[in-house]
Amino acid sequence: MKTLPVVKVFFLFMLMTAAVASAAEIDTIEQLTQAYGDGACGTCHEKIHGEWTKSMHSRSVVHSLGGMRNFIVFGLERDWKKPVDKENLMRCMHCHAPLLEYASESLVRKIGGMIVSASGGDEAAKKELARLNVNCIVCHNTVAVVEKNLRGLPKKGVYYGTSGSPTQAHGTEKTPALSSPSFCGRCHWLYTPPDGDTLYCNTLYGSYQDSYRAGGGPATCQDCHMRKKGAGHSFPGAYNEEMVREGIQMEVRVDGARMRPGKAVPTAVIAIGLINKAGHRIPDG
Amino acid sequence: MDVTARTDDGRTIAIGSREYREVGLDLEGNERLGAWQIKEILDLSLQPGKKKEEVFLAEFPPEVKTAEIGVRLKYIVSEGHEHEVHNVLKRVSFSR
Repeated sequence: MKTLPVVKVFFLFMLMTAAVASAAEIDTIEQLTQAYGDGACGTCHEKIHGEWTKSMHSRSVVHSLGGMRNFIVFGLERDWKKPVDKENLMRCMHCHAPLLEYASESLVRKIGGMIVSASGGDEAAKKELARLNVNCIVCHNTVAVVEKNLRGLPKKGVYYGTSGSPTQAHGTEKTPALSSPSFCGRCHWLYTPPDGDTLYCNTLYGSYQDSYRAGGGPATCQDCHMRKKGAGHSFPGAYNEEMVREGIQMEVRVDGARMRPGKAVPTAVIAIGLINKAGHRIPDG
Repeated sequence: MDVTARTDDGRTIAIGSREYREVGLDLEGNERLGAWQIKEILDLSLQPGKKKEEVFLAEFPPEVKTAEIGVRLKYIVSEGHEHEVHNVLKRVSFSR
């Protein structure tokens, strides 16, 4: 951590504490970005922030526009005949844009409309939606406490991490959560909203626990998707060809014979072995 | 995964293919794509730490003496976005 000039520290401190202090409802994406955006983080954590901008977490809304649009148009409006409101959109946004928890009802409804527009090719709407994602504030504050009933709610202005190293810019606290696969399981698993109507967006954490760990697998999500090869906060996964190639080994054995007595039909016997070296089923998300 | 053969006279023959994926089913057992519709999973994916073995038998016309077998594994991330994971070519002879 660099030593920071006093003015810069004061400015950062105000920004970083404001980020989680303004619990009042927010009416625009601009306000949301100012209160909970990642802009200030990159000032000191430039490398990590740069990694994150390459990650799918930084595109968690615009990357999934089609699926969310289908939920709105076919799920909510056509099949359920339910309003495109905050309660229903948070079924997606709980993971795709968790900070919308702090947005007003009207803003979330507007975002629902923007998702449909952007999915239909509205580039201006897409550009606005690109400001919504799973950013530093989400993982290092608002959802950083896994066991809230035991450990309490995340503290305003405090950023949780694996080391808890102190800094002049903001409060810090060490937490075991960010090293734990259960932290990733918050979203990379079956999601159950308050009304209990489950969403199978992806089920990776279940496979990790019930197959990989059950088979004696020792690695965590963070081991493979962060620590390995210094991937850090870029979180490489299915979109990374090298990652997928390392995750699936393929063996091919071919033998030739003349089969069917009396006919001698040239026949190839092709034996293929596919070995899943990952910590979860493939494919999954 | 696609398995093909190219014979020594230049013909390409499709031998077979396999898909590994999770199939999402609704309460009535229909395949669904929407996360809100899926209530159970028919799991056809590759399981962690496990080896999935496939054996294909491919018969050729009597005049074929050798063939090149191709096994191509691709990963389809989403519609229009896929990448090749492995592409293995093996030559096989039918005369010993």
